[in-house]
Order: sequence, then C-alpha cells, then structure tokens
Amino acid sequence: MTTTTENCGCPVSRRKLLAAGAAGVFAGLAGEQLSTQLAFASPAYAGDVFVLLSLRGGFDGLSAVVPAGDAAYYAARPGIAVPKRQLIGGDAYFGLNPALAPLLPYWKAGTLGAVQAVGQPAPNRSHFSAMEELERAAPGTSIRTGWLDRMMGGLGAAGAFDAVSMGSSMPARVLAGPAPDLGLHAVDSFVLNGEDKNRPMAATMAALYAGAPPALAATTAMTTSALATTAKLKAAGYTPANGAAYPDTELGKALKDVARLIKADVGLTSACVDSGDWDMHENLGTAVPGKRMYDHLNALASALAAFARDLGPAGLGRVTLVTISEFGRRVAQNGSGGLDHGYGNAMLVLGGGVRGGKVHGKWPGLAANRLVDGDLAVTTDYRAVIGEILRGRCGVTDVSKVFPGVRPSTLGLVKTR
Amino acid sequence: MDVTATDFLPADPLLHLLRRATYGPTPASTAEIRRLGAGAWLERQLKPASIADPVADDLVARLPLSRLSVGSVRSKVRAGAFKMYGWEPMFELGYAAVARAVWSERQLLEVMVDFWSNHLNVANPSGDVWDSRPDYDRSVIRPYALGRFADMLKASARHPAMLTYLDNRFSTRAAPNENYGRELLELHTVGLGYTEADVKGAARLFTGMTVSWDTGRYRYDAGRHATGAVKVMGFRHANTTASGGQSAAMALLEHLALHPATAKRIARKLCVRFVADEPPATLVTRLAKVYLDNRTAIAPVLRALFTSPEFAASVGAKTRTPYEDIVATVRTLGYAPEKSGTKALQALYWITEAAGQAPMAWTPPNGYPDVASAWASPSGQVTRWNAHLNITAGWWPNTLQRPESIVKAFAGDTLPATYGALVDAVATRLLGRTPAAEHTTALAAFYGKKPASPLKASDAAAGWAFPYLPALLLNSPYFALR
Repeated sequence: MTTTTENCGCPVSRRKLLAAGAAGVFAGLAGEQLSTQLAFASPAYAGDVFVLLSLRGGFDGLSAVVPAGDAAYYAARPGIAVPKRQLIGGDAYFGLNPALAPLLPYWKAGTLGAVQAVGQPAPNRSHFSAMEELERAAPGTSIRTGWLDRMMGGLGAAGAFDAVSMGSSMPARVLAGPAPDLGLHAVDSFVLNGEDKNRPMAATMAALYAGAPPALAATTAMTTSALATTAKLKAAGYTPANGAAYPDTELGKALKDVARLIKADVGLTSACVDSGDWDMHENLGTAVPGKRMYDHLNALASALAAFARDLGPAGLGRVTLVTISEFGRRVAQNGSGGLDHGYGNAMLVLGGGVRGGKVHGKWPGLAANRLVDGDLAVTTDYRAVIGEILRGRCGVTDVSKVFPGVRPSTLGLVKTR
Repeated sequence: MDVTATDFLPADPLLHLLRRATYGPTPASTAEIRRLGAGAWLERQLKPASIADPVADDLVARLPLSRLSVGSVRSKVRAGAFKMYGWEPMFELGYAAVARAVWSERQLLEVMVDFWSNHLNVANPSGDVWDSRPDYDRSVIRPYALGRFADMLKASARHPAMLTYLDNRFSTRAAPNENYGRELLELHTVGLGYTEADVKGAARLFTGMTVSWDTGRYRYDAGRHATGAVKVMGFRHANTTASGGQSAAMALLEHLALHPATAKRIARKLCVRFVADEPPATLVTRLAKVYLDNRTAIAPVLRALFTSPEFAASVGAKTRTPYEDIVATVRTLGYAPEKSGTKALQALYWITEAAGQAPMAWTPPNGYPDVASAWASPSGQVTRWNAHLNITAGWWPNTLQRPESIVKAFAGDTLPATYGALVDAVATRLLGRTPAAEHTTALAAFYGKKPASPLKASDAAAGWAFPYLPALLLNSPYFALR
C-alpha cells in the first residue's frame, strides 16, 4: 500500500506531491498510458490566473458604470438614476456609482477598467437560457461544453486545481466538459469525513483503486492528491496580506479562498466565483447606503478591493478578473422603481495587466432609435472581450477554439504579457 | 496487478442484470431473481402494473404535490397552500423520484422513467414550469416509459412544460421560435444531420401549439399557425389550413419517431445506459431494427437488449453516475424508509444534488450525461465518499430504519474470526464477492491490522469503527462499477 505525503508535515511542492501520489497509484500501469492519459501535473502555465465572476440574475451595468453624459439615461430613470454630482472616478461621459468607492484606488491606478455595451450576440431575456448560452458561448453550434472548459482543454489542463469553481461543490456550467475541474464549497470544507491519522481513509482509497480502470484510477488519484493539498492548506491556516479585510459574504469568502489558492501555487489557471441577487425588478433605490443596488454594488466592491489588496501588486500582476452577467437591464425603470430584463451590459475588469481607469467599448447611445427593444444595444460581443484577455494575458493563441467564429476585440483592454 | 474492470465485479449474470436493469441489487431483489430466474424476472419488470408496490406507494402518498395536474397546482395556490410560482410541487416531485428509485419494486420502470426524463428533459425544478412539471412526469413520462416512444413524443409536444421549456408557446406565424424544432430534431429524434431548412420547417409546423395564460393548459391557437407546405427529414405536408396545423404536427412527430436515424439514436442511447459507454455497433443495429419492427414500442427493445450476448459480455463496462451511486447505496445497505414524514427523502435528494445529479435537475435540454468520463470529478467523488459513510452510519440522513446491529446484518450473527474474514463477509453481503487479496490487506490495514489478525468483539472494528468498512467498500471500484 502506498500513501501520499499528506501526513508528513513537511513542505512539499505541488509537483512533488502529485508525483508521489501518482507513483503509488499508477505503479501498475504502463508508462505510455501514464503519459497520455493520466499525467496530471499540467505543463507549466505562465499566463494570468483568469478569474470569472458571474453576476447572476442580470446585472445593471448602467447603474455601475453610469453614462452621465447621455441625457436619455436621466430621462429614462427619473427615480433611480445616479446624479452626476454623486459619481466618482469619471471622465467626461461616464462615472462610477459611489458604492464602488472601495475600488476607486484601483480605478485610479489603472488596474480596474470597464467595458460598456457588451453582451451576447442576440438578445435573450430568459435567465435560464441566457445563462446557458452565456456559459456555452457557442450559439448556432451543437457544442455543449462550457467555454472555460474549452479554454482549459486548449491549455492542456490536467491538474485538479487548474480550474476551480469556488463557493459550490459542483463545478460551474461554464466548466462543463472533458477538462478536469474542481468544485469547492470552500478550501477548508474539502475533507473526507473520518480522515484521521489512525484511520487513513484517503490512503486506503488510493490502495483500493490501484489497478482500477484508468478513468476511475485517474479521478481517485486526483481526489487523493487534492485532499492532501487542502489538508495542508487547512493546517497552515490563512491570513490575508496587507491588512485586507474581506466582507463576510459568500463572495468575500470565495474570493479569499481564490487568493489563498493563487498564493499557495497549487497550479490555479482559472477560477469561477458567483455573486447572486442582481435581479432587481423593484425598488432598486437611489445611490445611498441602505438602498438595494447601492448596498449590492458596495458589497461587490468591498470583496473585490479586499481581493486586490490581499494579492498585492505582484500578485495582482498575474491575475485578471472579469465580471459577466446573463443580460443587462432595461434602460427605462418600470412602475415598481426597478428594472426589467434587458440586453447590453457593462463588464468590470480587474488585474495588474489591465489598462484601466477608463471605460472601453463603443457607446451606442440611449436615444430611443439606438435601443434594441428598449434595451442598450450591444456593440462588442462579450466573447470578443474575453478573447482579447485570453490572448493577451493567458497564452490562448487561437481564440476561435474557445469561442467558435469569434475574433478577439482590439479594445486595448490589457497589456500583452 | 493487471486488473481489469471485470475483476472487480461478481461474475454472476443475475447480479449483472440487477446492477443494470435496476438501481442496484438489494438483499430482497437478489433473492427474488434467484427464485424466478432472469427471464421471468425481466418479464415481470416489463409489466410494472402487475407488481404490487406498497412501500413506494406509501412514500409517494406523503408527497401529494408531486402528482398534481396543472389545474390542481393552480387551485392549491388559490387555496393558499403555497404561493404562485412556488417550487414546492417540483421539489416534492424530486423527492418522490428518489423514493421510487430506492424503494419501488417496479425498478425497470423507474430506471426508464429516469431515462426518458433525461431524453425529453424539462429541468425540474425551474421557474417557468412551476405549475406543469409534476404533470409532465405524471401524464407524459410515466404512462409511456415502457410503451411506444411515438406516443410519449406526441404527448411531450403538447404538454405545457415542454412548450414552455423550449419556448414553442411563444412561437407565432410571424416569428416562429426555432428552439423546440431544433431540439426535437437534434435531441429528441434524429440527431445531428438535420439541416437548417428542416428546423425552419418544423418550427413553422408547430406554430399555434401553445399554452393558455388563463389555465396554464395546452391550447391549439389556429390563428398563430403558419400555413404552407413543409418538408422535414423526408416528411412532406401541404399544411394548407390553419385548423389542420395540429394534426400535421402530430404526423411529423410520428414520422420522426419512426425515422431510422431516431431508431438508431434511441437504440444507442439505451445501450449507453445499459451496456457500455461505447456500445457495440452490432447490438445498436439489431435493436434499432427491433424498435422499427415494433413501431417504437420500447419493451421489445429492452427484452432484446437484456437477452443479448453483448449485454452478457459487458460486465464492468459501466460506471455508476452520482445519482445511481447514492440510490444504490441505500438499496445495497437494505435500509428501510422512515416510518413517517419525508426528512430522509429530502436528505437523500439533497445529497444527490450535492453530488451533482439530483434527478431531473439538469438544466440544458440534452439531459444528464450517461458516460463515466462526464462524472470523473474529484469534488463529486468526495461528496459520494462522504455520503457513503454518512448513510451507512446513520449520521445523514439520520431517520432511515437501520438494522439493530449493522455488524450482524453485514458480517453475520457470528463475529468473523479475523480481519480478513470480516472484510470478506461484509464485501460478500454488500458487493456479492470478496475483494482481491491486496485490497483485503489494504482494508485490514485501515484498522492497523493484517488479514490474519484475530478479530475480537471488543475491537473498534467490531464496534464504533465498523461503519467505516462498509463505507470504504462502497467507495471502492467494486461498487463504483455498475
């Protein structure tokens, strides 16, 4: 029986740890199989850690990145538009919601930027099917994998921690497909019940899967090594750096664990985190504390600011985080002081390689004849925006393998790595 | 060390049949199939109405919302039982699915209900079908699960749940919505190989089939039907009158159900479920012919499948999906449901959800994947391993009826003399075979012992630490393989 190194208490690099697990579990397999199917120490990845933050429910980009220079914005939202005098960090045309103040230092430093009027190639105002399409990202094809899975596959992902979705034990839909990924409710809760130095469950499982069919053996090897990694991380504990204080929210906890994995150098290439409750059909509120949109944006900004602060300039230099949402919201407020499902939206982009401090994209305007069924038009496909980042920062050379038929945008959103 | 999948499973063909045609052997089903023999057992399962099912009936009766028609859901709302758009009926349907999968005697029916629920997927729960999804199960899937596929397909096309889920209710003469037309061809019937013109033709023919906003029930609105000749996958119809649109649409569905490409797809899909992730082409071809010869009747196809040499030769070629794993765990342990209430059913449902496969809950229209590679995830594996221990030890759910002594129930009334004998006894009871020597050694080593070490009644392994042994066996490839 072979055990992995989880109980030795010694500092071991990820590669060595994995190698030790692999040697035991795969001892009975031919070397050829091992290299073609089961190698799970991924080729060295030199790009940014790509963090995908999904704003579920339909994010209102117009409340976050406010088109203050467009009179139609104020006309359409008499009760909930953010007055010009309250906006922060703005330029001649756009300003940020004051709830985003925790992020202002990053906006000013140029590590936070925004893109306006982005979205899916066709309007889709159903949460369910819009989210499906957003994560499949291949309309008009029969592809059923998620786009992040295709990206990970293209990068040769093979390790358990290469692609992680944090906050849910089930991997995100965007990761659906053949490339390996790990869904973690939290780093500290990824444990085997009953594991104990006197009852070595993981080691016993490794022995029971010795010689099992390759697919089963490979998963088990990944599981036992991932358990060993999280056990080490848990034992070491975690204190965010630079005095970063994460808010006690689901998003705050998830981003803290993502920062923890980034710093632990476990091989993280991409991470998915969720932020929910953006479906504000009523009482969205004015831009003051205690109002729905303000508080929500502020909680988002606090979590992102803590993440950036925790990583520090060096850490942030190898991370790009983008926000996406299934659709934007209608330009005009409804009778309940809220906003119904719309189309075009804004994305936020945070990272050391970002050319931020400004709003990218082509603004179509909010005049009635520029709207699509009452909604902000889309001038840039969200896939093209992500494609630009993947090419510039993540070493993806052929974006069309991730997003069929899509060419990366040329917004100048990121510095090429 | 040269072990293959077949080395993990008992060779007994009766156990092979139980692992595939049911959600897993129980002590009772094993005794039954030994008594009846494979042929009589299968014939009985193919006539589910003839099988008394008191335990599952009692459990489903505790979940009355799971069986409501659209009209009944709405009148419950009016009576204040739950709110408009409430998900209570859909959750009860999910709990009922788990209850039937674990405890119904009509196992093959339940396996096929799951198969068709995925083939003609309407995600449960999901918001837009809050009032119609239980009825879809009751009136579309269950009545035809062992009947004619053409009948089920036609029932699905006219059901508010499918009309809503794939948007056909919004389709109009002026703006046909192609969502249903496309998935009908690609997923429900012929598969890839259709053209865009086929999709457009199908979408036009289905215009007018919608849902009443007043009642939530199916309605044919001739005023929304696009007339004019259509051609779809070899089907031609003049489609001259708006009032004739519905019957033209039904004729197309009959045509598609009987299309050779559909026959092959359904035959292959059944083989993937019951035989192998990469099924033998010869068997698929033979079953497609049986399907067509029997005008889409499914029972003859299943009979041919389970009696085929390819099936017999497929031991070890399937891996349990997360849902099958959790259900089979309770069945293998032989635990009985709680005497009243639904707490354990709910707990089991949420365990399957955490493991990634709550029944009917796959959101895209293609249904849950049915091959091992799709489920090879470390997080799913850890969830399942934790569930094995929690269920076995009675920690969660904590209300199932368990034997007074699981040591006696699994290892026999007389305590085995050695650790090796303990492993062999428990494995034989739960898995139908003893493990390979190196695995018995590993399991004894878990307790810090060797197989030959004497086992005393006062040892932890025969007392508080015993549940780890069945759990480890359920974690192993001996159980993971189906």
